[in-house]
Amino acid sequence: MGLKWSEIRCCRNQKIGGKSKSKSNKNYYELLGIPFDSNMLQIKEAYRKLQKKYHPDIAGQEGHEYTLLLNEAYKVLIKDDQRKEYDASIGSMKAKFGSNVSGFSSWKGPLRPQALFVDANNCIGCRECVHHASNTFEMDEALGCARVKVQYGDDDRKIDVSVDSCPVNCIHWVDSEELAVLEFLIQPQLKEGYGVFGGGWERPSNVFMAAKAFTKQLKQQAETAQGQHENGRVRSVEEETPAQAEARVNATMKLNMERFNKIWGKFKHFFII
Amino acid sequence: MAEPAYTVASDSETTGEEKSSSAFPEIAIGIDIGTSQCSVAVWNGSQVELLKNTRNQKLMRSYVTFKDDIPSGGVSYQLSHEHEMLSGAVIFNMKRLIGRVDTDPVVHSSKSLPFLVQTLDIGVRPFIAALVNNVWRSTTPEEVLAIFLVELRVMAESQLKRPIRNVVLSIPVSFSRFQLTRIERACAMAGLHVLRLMPEPTAVALLYAQQQQQMIHDNMGSGSEKIALIFNMGAGYCDAAVTATAGGVSQIKALAGIATGGEDFLQNMMRHLLPNFDNLFSSRGINEIKSMGLLRVATQDAIHKLSFEESVQIDVDLGNGLRICKQVSREEFEEVNQKIFEKCESLIIQCLHDAKVEADDLTDVIVVGGCSHIPKIKNLVKSVCKRELYKGMNPLEAAVCGTALEGAVASGISDPFGNLDLLTIQATPLGIGIRANGNSFVPIIPRNTTMPARKELVFTTVNDNQTEVLIIVHEGETEKADENHLLGYFKISGIPPAPKGVPEINVCMDINASNVLRVLAGVIMPGSQQPVVPVMEVRMPTVDDGHGWCAEALHRAYGSTLDLMTVQKK
Repeated sequence: MGLKWSEIRCCRNQKIGGKSKSKSNKNYYELLGIPFDSNMLQIKEAYRKLQKKYHPDIAGQEGHEYTLLLNEAYKVLIKDDQRKEYDASIGSMKAKFGSNVSGFSSWKGPLRPQALFVDANNCIGCRECVHHASNTFEMDEALGCARVKVQYGDDDRKIDVSVDSCPVNCIHWVDSEELAVLEFLIQPQLKEGYGVFGGGWERPSNVFMAAKAFTKQLKQQAETAQGQHENGRVRSVEEETPAQAEARVNATMKLNMERFNKIWGKFKHFFII
Repeated sequence: MAEPAYTVASDSETTGEEKSSSAFPEIAIGIDIGTSQCSVAVWNGSQVELLKNTRNQKLMRSYVTFKDDIPSGGVSYQLSHEHEMLSGAVIFNMKRLIGRVDTDPVVHSSKSLPFLVQTLDIGVRPFIAALVNNVWRSTTPEEVLAIFLVELRVMAESQLKRPIRNVVLSIPVSFSRFQLTRIERACAMAGLHVLRLMPEPTAVALLYAQQQQQMIHDNMGSGSEKIALIFNMGAGYCDAAVTATAGGVSQIKALAGIATGGEDFLQNMMRHLLPNFDNLFSSRGINEIKSMGLLRVATQDAIHKLSFEESVQIDVDLGNGLRICKQVSREEFEEVNQKIFEKCESLIIQCLHDAKVEADDLTDVIVVGGCSHIPKIKNLVKSVCKRELYKGMNPLEAAVCGTALEGAVASGISDPFGNLDLLTIQATPLGIGIRANGNSFVPIIPRNTTMPARKELVFTTVNDNQTEVLIIVHEGETEKADENHLLGYFKISGIPPAPKGVPEINVCMDINASNVLRVLAGVIMPGSQQPVVPVMEVRMPTVDDGHGWCAEALHRAYGSTLDLMTVQKK
């Protein structure tokens, strides 16, 4: 058994581009199962707890890949400057690349200014939307509510019907730029895996308000980061030049490609060995 | 002994998969092979227990005598007198010799031992031989170690009444990966399978983690993070580590080690007592060996006494009209070994620095190993760390207890009382990288990286239309590649012709928790996502004996035609 090339590629992108930090779909906070604003102590504690579960000494060779991710996440989050940079990078990536990074939904076709978002706080799990537009919506069986799988996965008519069919009006049209933040904040598994105590499901009761505050925070961080990094790797969203727009599309494609590679790698892993 | 012959089970080519997935939960035993003493410990279901040999010893001298037809070691064999060990027929200090080439200063300092250590200074393994009936009988450090390990295994099997296969061994921090393969080979020769090799201070750290865990259970104390410095000095090696411990998890922050130990104190003292020591014993006749042995025993004795007394009287007749009669004070001993103490001090300072820990942040300071009795050692650690020393550990048994704990944890054993609710998160003691930019060493996985680790770097070609590159993997800390340990090399062919600097050569290194290193290298051309030639995956180290001059030979044969350089960050 060996490493798969896709794994190396991911590793590479992370080093060179400094952008695609997430080898899995989870960001470092989700990986460690801690809230975005955790302090040092919480990070350390979560890291230790997860190590005790997944370290190869305990879990065997299967734990290797996961532990590598844990180590990487810990290394970044434990250092103030690296953590700030990382926070800024996931923040700006979300804003730039839409949902590809940590949100659930992916895009079919080009980015559009509007995107679909299911406010899971209100969703009653009636499955109406999934019924009408099954390529766009899916049920999260664990949570018992719907979510967007693929933005514009069905034609506009089907989507309109499904939005209208929602009995509690919890499907919203939102700005594409806000989408990633909303999807990030609505995930209730923020505290999942965080030990026996203090765990459970937590999400902001008003996700839209929370998103505003969060975006503001990210913007501030991005601005500070920009002051530090003259190369302008971290930019705020508003000032997008045509060149950047092109870069954004390329990057989206690259991310999708990478995803494909990874899935393909996993596929091979399971069926060849 | 029921099983005198040992079998060669494998050529140390045990894979990482085998290492961690034992089909049946056999508890791995912990073995501490010291330069001078060894011990075996095992988790007995409720606690760690040290095994005793038939003479009721927990700590056994590490030596093998070739006096009889079948060599026997310190586990089963009783020396008639201390001087017998120095007769030339007994090989000891094998831990200082294993995996070293004859240009190594440590090998050279071993030339004053009573058995034969012959060096040709060309970078090959030294010739080692024991004197039996006036014949030098050749052997190797691996063989000596294997004989000894077989005895330990037989002893453990007879007491535990089960076959022993898996072991956790403690090793010095400064051991190179090549030396680790020698240790693994010695184990394989003894029919043992290495589950983990643990740097000695990390074994101590694991024991410390368990003690802290138990204390919390007992006192309901706070479970906050504790930072400890561990200093371990035995007969052959000196190691330091900084560990952050909480909730039974010992996280190694930094490791540092040098091949300096009690043996160096002893040799310095012998040269101090007898300044023309080297000239007198260079011929190595039977009489010289005998005199050297007498001096060694007397000096060793004196050093032991100086740990408890201010001064000691040495009176020894070396034969041939040579007699040493001298009063030696503790100050004198400390002055003679000033350099060693300075090295120890800088080792601790470096380790604290690497861990980014100030002396004030330390909760505990632990000093273990045979040299921990020397007052100057205790004092210098105390003064660097500004702390009293931790008292809860037996300095001679701490390392072996730690390996036994790791043996139980890595074998998947759990304890209802939570005494095995432990984990050690290791760090790499030495940087690993490749030769690039001429003769520079470019680390890919730096020292003190948390394990398991995976890192990668991109390199490129140095010549136009260069179709092949040579990846030469080194381990160490020096900037010049050829001054570091060579681990192996391989060539990537089939790079499409392109101007220099265009092909991207990705070198990825992966170390798993069993410390198996794999190096992967692939070539990507700009604009492409997939590698142009199949990716190479190589388990390191690949070099065998003669690794001292492989790199030189490669350089002679190929010059810079197959060189690499790092890619400038955009």
